Order: sequence, then C-alpha cells, then structure tokens
Amino acid sequence: MSPSGTQTRRLLLVGFGGILLLLALTGLNAVSVLRTIQTRNEQIRQDYLNRERILEQLRSDIYLSGTYARDLLLEPDPARAEVHRSELEGARSRIESMIGEYAGILRGEEHEAFQRFEREVSSYFDSLRPALQWNAEQRRALGYRYMQNSLLPRRMVIVHLADQISGINQKQLEAGSRDVAALFADFRRSLLTLLLVTLACGVALAAGSMSRILRLERLSAARFEEVVQTRAALRDLSARLVEVQETERRALSRELHDEVGQSLSALLLTIDNVAATLPPGGNPESRAQLLEIRRLAERTVTVVRDMSLLLRPSMLDDLGLVPALQWQAREISRNNNLRIDVEADPSSEDLPEDHKTCVYRIVQEALRNVTRHARAKSVHIRLTHPDGTLRLTVQDDGQGFVPEREKGMGLLGMEERVSYLNGAFKVNSQPGKGTVIHVELPLATGET
Amino acid sequence: MTLRIILADDHTILRNGLRLLLERQSDFSVVGEAGNGREAVDLVSQELPDVIILDIAMPILNGIEAAQRISAAHPKIAVIMLSVHSDESYILRALKAGARGYLLKDSPEGDLIQAVRAVASGKAFFSPAVSKVLADDYVRQVRQHGLVDPYDLLTARERELLQLIVELKPTKEIAELLNLSPYTIDTHRGNLMQKLNVHSIPELILYAVRKRIIQ
Repeated sequence: MSPSGTQTRRLLLVGFGGILLLLALTGLNAVSVLRTIQTRNEQIRQDYLNRERILEQLRSDIYLSGTYARDLLLEPDPARAEVHRSELEGARSRIESMIGEYAGILRGEEHEAFQRFEREVSSYFDSLRPALQWNAEQRRALGYRYMQNSLLPRRMVIVHLADQISGINQKQLEAGSRDVAALFADFRRSLLTLLLVTLACGVALAAGSMSRILRLERLSAARFEEVVQTRAALRDLSARLVEVQETERRALSRELHDEVGQSLSALLLTIDNVAATLPPGGNPESRAQLLEIRRLAERTVTVVRDMSLLLRPSMLDDLGLVPALQWQAREISRNNNLRIDVEADPSSEDLPEDHKTCVYRIVQEALRNVTRHARAKSVHIRLTHPDGTLRLTVQDDGQGFVPEREKGMGLLGMEERVSYLNGAFKVNSQPGKGTVIHVELPLATGET
Repeated sequence: MTLRIILADDHTILRNGLRLLLERQSDFSVVGEAGNGREAVDLVSQELPDVIILDIAMPILNGIEAAQRISAAHPKIAVIMLSVHSDESYILRALKAGARGYLLKDSPEGDLIQAVRAVASGKAFFSPAVSKVLADDYVRQVRQHGLVDPYDLLTARERELLQLIVELKPTKEIAELLNLSPYTIDTHRGNLMQKLNVHSIPELILYAVRKRIIQ
C-alpha cells in the first residue's frame, strides 16, 4: 500500500473514530446527567414528603396533646385522670422524639422558625407541668380558666408555627424544583454543544473525505487518460510498423522485380544472342555450357520472381485486390491440390488501400496456415462489404484446432493487422470441424 | 517486305537484347524504342509500325494503358505484351487492352520471333509456358469442381466457329469460309459465348488458350 493510502486510512480512522467516540461520550453523559436529575428530583420530593409527614404528625400530636390536657383538666375521676395524663405524656414523648427527628433534617431558612417552634413547644409543656400536678379540686376550680387562657392559645401558636414551617418547606420544594430545572437547562445546553461539535466534526470529515476522494478520482481519471493515450500510441506505432513493413516489402519487391528481374531477363536475351552468333557446327561444348547458363538464369528468374511476389504481389498494385486474391488462390491451388474458391464483390477495388492490403495479407496468411496444418480439401474465401463494413471469411474443411491453445504467430499477426484498422477478428475452429476466420473492418473514414 | 517494330521497355539492357535478337531476322526492323508508355504511344503515332512490343510494367503510363490507347487509335497495329506474369488476370487484362500476343520475358528467342510473325499476320500468340499454365489450371478447376467442360456442349459448327474467331479472323472472312451469312455468324457466336459462359472476345480467347485451341 502506498504512503498516501496509509495516510488516508489513518485520517479516516481518526475522523470516524473521533466522531463515534464523541457520540458515545455524549450519550453516556446524557444518561448519567438524566439519572442524576431524576435522583435529585426524587430526593427533593421524598425529603419534602418526609418533612410534611413529620410536621403533620407534630401538628396532630400537639392538637391531641391539647385535647388530652383538656380531658385531664376536666376529669373529676382521679383514675380516669391518670389515664389522660399518661396519654398526654405519650403525646409529649412522641412530640419530642419527632422534634428530635426533624432537628436532624433541618435546613437553612427553617432554623429560626423551628427554634421558635421548639421553644414554644417546650414552654407549652412547661406551662402544663404545674397543672398536671393539680388534684381534682384544683382542676375543677382552675382547669377551665387555665385551658381558656393558657393552653389553647399556646396550642394555637404552636400549630401556627408548624404551618409556617410547612410553608417554608413548600418554598424549599419549589426552590429544589427550580434547581432541577436549571440543571436540566444546563444539561440541554451541554448536550446541544456536544452535538454541534460532533456535527461540525462530521461535516469537516465529510468535506475532507470528499475532497480527497475527488482528488483521487481526478488522479485516476488522469491515469486512465494516460493509459488510453499510451494504448493509442502503441496502436499507432504498430500500425506504422505494419505500414513501414508493407512499404519496405513493396520497395524490395519492386527492386527485385525491376532491377534484378530485368537484368536477369536481359541476361537471358544476351545468352540467346550469344548462342545465335555461335558458328553453326562450332564447339558443341560451348553450346552445352551456354545452355546450362541459360537454365541457371531461368531458375534464378523464377526464384527472384517468387520472392518478389511473396514480398508484395505486383497484381495488388497493377490489377487490384480481387485478381490478386484469385491469383493467390490459383497459385496455391496449383501447388497443393486444394480447391480454393474466391467470392468477392466486384466493387472491392474501391476499398481503401490499407484495407486491400490487410485483406490480401490475411488471406495469404490464412492460406499459408491451411496448406501447412489443415489438411483441407477446399477453402472458401468470401469478401463482401455491404452497409459500410467489410466482411472477410476464410473457411476450410480441414482438421481444425483449438484456437485458445494453438494461437500461432500467424493468427496474432492477422489480429494485429485487423485491430489497427479498428476491426474485429475471430477464429472459429474445433478439432475435426475445420476452421473459419472472420474479419470485420469498418469502412467509414475519419473515425478513431 | 520488312516488318517494322517498336520496342517499349523501361530497361535499356533488355531493349538492347531484344533489338539484337529481332534484328538478326533479315525481314525485321526495329524502327524505334520507348522507355515508358507515353513515349511508346507517341512513337507509334509517328512511325505507324506493324508491331509494337510493350512491357506491362512501365513508369508514367503502364503497358496495359498504352496498349489500350494504341489499339483504339490504330487497330491495325499488332500489340505484343511482354510480362513476367503468367497469371490469367494479366493475360485477360492484356487481351482486353487489345493485345494479340502475350510473351513471358524469359521465353526463349524462338518464341519472340514466332510471336512477332504471328501477330503481324493477324493471329494471336501466347508463350507456350503461359498456355501450359492456363491449360493445366483449367483442367484442374474442372476436375476439382466436378464440372462438365462446356466445350463438350458445343456443336461441330460452333467449335469450327470458335477456332476461327480466336484466330482473329474478321466476321466477313469467317462467313465466306463457312459459307454462311454474317448475320448467322453473329447468332452462332452469341450461342457459343452463352454456352461457354464468357462475355467478351478476350475471355473467349482466354478460354481457347486454356483449351489449347490456340497456342
């Protein structure tokens, strides 16, 4: 992997990892804060209810204590009075224990009111103490008045104080609720902030990734363009190679034909001339040698002509494609006991020069393959060009082969020639089923 | 009477050799030499020879084109095509261009002399090597395709007529020889060509060479 790839991977890992971590933290924080708020809320409510319960109890016990005191003061029967006294004592001890309990959970503002409440309760019971020691007589004589003047008003004050504390309590509950609300607002703010930060990170990451992807895309497009250009250049080169080869062959062929061939023909003529000037009945050995020279020269003429034709058949330039194909067919047919039919559109002579050469060379190569490997009895060559496409098929009834396995240089060369004219090349063959070569060349000019 | 000959070939040595060969015949006279087709056409118009020997492959104007122009302008002048190719495509081209003789460049001396004399007397002439190749090809094709040789379908009269046509005898002469009217000759010729599936006199001549009706 390239350094830039590693870098990208690290960048993406850090980016996405960071965002996911941020989201997880936000979630965890939210859960914990919400739980705190809930606990807090519950606490405040529980606390309030607890206080209210104690206060209520206090109020009711103080009220009861009054009632017990009244019953005691108004009770003529000493035995019954004793019962009331003990009830009163019970109430008192309950009240004291509850005051003790409440003192444990006292809070801020309550202190003052509660201390007054405590003082009042204690002075209330203190004021009761002498009255409790009264006998029946005293109770009857002083009880009612004491009750009206001291007991009931004191009780009123205490109950009033308890109400006051309850009011403070209420206020504290509200303050607590406000605190919770504030806490909640804080939480909302922090959550929002976190989410905004995450979002910002996400956007930044997305932008970063996108720009990187776009850059990579541009880069790969540029590379692709390069590859396409290189391939085109390669094809150009191979086309030029074929062209140069063809030109070179033509030049060589012409040279052989025009210079070497003509000189040999002249040589033959000269030999004939010399032979004619030999005196009749002259040296028979000279005549025989001259004859030998002539045979040698004739053989050389044949070799040179064959070479020249192989390089570039002059028919292709002198007479055109179809006669050249027919000539080729006749030549090979003559030497190989092979039946070769050529079926060609007469208008094939109007084809572009490159196409004609390509067709000729493919047929030449295909026939060479047939004579070398196919053991065929007949070959059918068909050349048509309807609707702007040249179609060439060379079909034999030979032994066939497996094209995937035995693609020799000949077939590759054909494919090469076809591809630089933007054509399609296909070989259909199976062992025992003969071979068909299909070539399609586009004829429209000015296309890439 | 002397036969006046023009030689057209772009190779001087070859022309020299040919001239030497031809002029050894006492009744032959080479009256001009041309190095390309255009020169040949011009020279023929000036000299009006009996025979012109044209190389097929020549610069500026090739032998086939030159033969076409010459035979169009001077149908009486006999044209011999000189070539290295023994293929029938070339021969048919040459015949269509008006050539009466077709000679391979490596033919022996005798063939050339024979060819000049033949065409000068109005006959066709082909190098024996060419005739042999054409005849062999024909036999092989007929055999490979399993065809019936259309020659077998011809009547005796038509065979006779074929012989006379490919000897390049004028219709009038043929009519006299066969004691028929020129109109009847035309009809026979039509039938003949239809049976042989040929469409022109050059093709008919080619057929005759293949069948070795003419040498």
